[in-house]
Amino acid sequence: MKILSLFISPLLALIIGLLFLGISRKITAKIHWRCGPPVYQPLIDVIRSFSQKSISHGAFFDFGIILSLSSSVVLIYFLPVGDLYAMTSGGLIAFLYLMLLGPFGIALSSAASGNPNSSIGVSRKFLLALAYEVPLLLVLLTVMTHYNTISLVEIVNIQAGTGMAFSSWALVLPGIAYFLILPAVLGVRPFEIVSAPQEISSGPVAEFGGKHLAFYTLQHALQLFVGLALFVNIFLGGGTLFGLLNPIAGTVWATILGIIIFLVKMFIVLVIELFINAVYPRFRIEQAMRYLWKWPTLIAFVGLVIVAILN
Amino acid sequence: MEELKKKLLAYFTDLTIQIHDDYRMCINTQKETVVSLLNYLKNMGYEHFALLSCIDWIDKGEFELIYILSAYMEVCDKYQEKEQGIIIIKARISRDDAKVISVINVFENAEPYERELHEMFGIKFEGHPRLTPLMLEREYEIPPFRKDFDTLKYVDNTFGKIPSIEERKANYERT
Amino acid sequence: MDRNQISKWFKNPGKMANKYSFHVVYFCTGCGIIEIPPSITTRWDAERFGIIPVATPRQANLFLITGYVSTKTLKAIIRTYEQMPEPKYTVAFGSCPINGGMYYDSYNTITSLDKYIPVDGYIAGCMPRPEAIFIGVTHLWKLIDMDKADGYKRYRRDYKFYRANQEQLFKELGWPPLFKDASL
Repeated sequence: MKILSLFISPLLALIIGLLFLGISRKITAKIHWRCGPPVYQPLIDVIRSFSQKSISHGAFFDFGIILSLSSSVVLIYFLPVGDLYAMTSGGLIAFLYLMLLGPFGIALSSAASGNPNSSIGVSRKFLLALAYEVPLLLVLLTVMTHYNTISLVEIVNIQAGTGMAFSSWALVLPGIAYFLILPAVLGVRPFEIVSAPQEISSGPVAEFGGKHLAFYTLQHALQLFVGLALFVNIFLGGGTLFGLLNPIAGTVWATILGIIIFLVKMFIVLVIELFINAVYPRFRIEQAMRYLWKWPTLIAFVGLVIVAILN
Repeated sequence: MEELKKKLLAYFTDLTIQIHDDYRMCINTQKETVVSLLNYLKNMGYEHFALLSCIDWIDKGEFELIYILSAYMEVCDKYQEKEQGIIIIKARISRDDAKVISVINVFENAEPYERELHEMFGIKFEGHPRLTPLMLEREYEIPPFRKDFDTLKYVDNTFGKIPSIEERKANYERT
Repeated sequence: MDRNQISKWFKNPGKMANKYSFHVVYFCTGCGIIEIPPSITTRWDAERFGIIPVATPRQANLFLITGYVSTKTLKAIIRTYEQMPEPKYTVAFGSCPINGGMYYDSYNTITSLDKYIPVDGYIAGCMPRPEAIFIGVTHLWKLIDMDKADGYKRYRRDYKFYRANQEQLFKELGWPPLFKDASL
């Protein structure tokens, strides 16, 4: 199972990520009262980008985007999708560390491209990361304290053991805090400051064309998958649903159904994020930092205090 | 407006002033007077330099420079002195020897207007720090906004002379 | 529209993907840009054909020149066109890029665009309505199917002639030639 999941989980993440990108474009179009592109439109875009000749700006330009994509693939291995996981060790600490490598690779290659818009985009990206890392670290610290473990798989298993999809009431406040910063983690509309096409010509990817753009799109799809899957794993109980799958636990059907439940949960979170995305305009960077360091941080901190008292 | 007209006529000698309606005053003057007139009007409260433009009177051999000033609406004690309205100042210069003193020292925002007029009409503004090209990419023998600039002939001579790719290819293969 | 025919996708994926994923860089010269916002937003919704505007020429494969081309913008147009990755398509929009349009005798507006960069198709009219853009796109699909939208190949093949025309207009261009064989 573990060896199989080494191949299946990145593939699944890529397909689901691209599908979610397509669905998000379709749903946004429906909110705008448009017909919208077909859901496989991102796949067409990726094929087109691969068919185009790309212009390289040096070795670091190529290396950075490869680093970003590969680190995202490695990130998938740390992430249990239902029963489908490759490693049980490592856990949240390694996960947090690897989560920074994706933006770092993009920053590396856009610095090599020498476009001023790219440098502005990269500086915005790191400022935004600085802003959302504080509440994110508080939330994850709360989770680790509450469950007394750093392993993602164990966290999911404990949630399955209680028979509840939603975690214990002590984690409600951190859950709210994570949900408030989720648009910033995913980089959707209120926090679309990094790749603002109208301001800084799509920011870090301003010089990406052809195959580089295709790799970036794949990396973006993986990042979307990771951001949603982490939320589902920690707060929504992963691939379990009120102990529904307990009677057939251990069979292949249970694994497949677990994955499907997991994806449905991800989809629901995505749709809620899309509604926010379609309605809100874009923050300025200092507005985003003020928001992220005020309410989510406060809620996460209160949650941490509650969990610490309970323990 | 009438009050202002009286003041101006008392201060300057070589002005002819018409008031078209309550809000528009047209002043004809000499090019030497323009700077001091603008200075005076600026101190009167007409602080908004709206436009500097030019008309080519080719029959008379003259350019007519047009300075348009207006005042910001402001309710204050000086309201009686500073009347709302537009002041149009016209000064004629010779077409062959198109030179005039720059008004940048009075109104700094005249700089792009003067560059534009230098580029389009070939008027030399004395005292302007940089009369470099502002909008045009190419250089013209006659500045293009002068009336004796034949646009159709110019287009035929420059853009029309450039061959299409097929013609150029045929020429290249022939030689 | 043969977007759903899977056999064609397997036969020539690059061509099909280029047809149904036009990432457009709009060159906002003149009045044509007014027609673009209705065509990409709710009323006409260009995104259902996969047409979306992008912010940089590196990500684009369709170049839409909307309106008259003055000599100064022509410089920027040439640079933008050279920055786009191949395969790339150019569509000139309105009558001004065809023969100058109402600016036929302007001192600063070039009369025909295809002397300087290759143009794959024209949408005539002053101004064309958004429907005309979609008709133009469907014609471009046909041209791509028949391999007749070969502007980028012509540019590569006849680069020295294009470069000679550009240099005749500008005297000095200020950037090195895109391809090696550049002088006549």
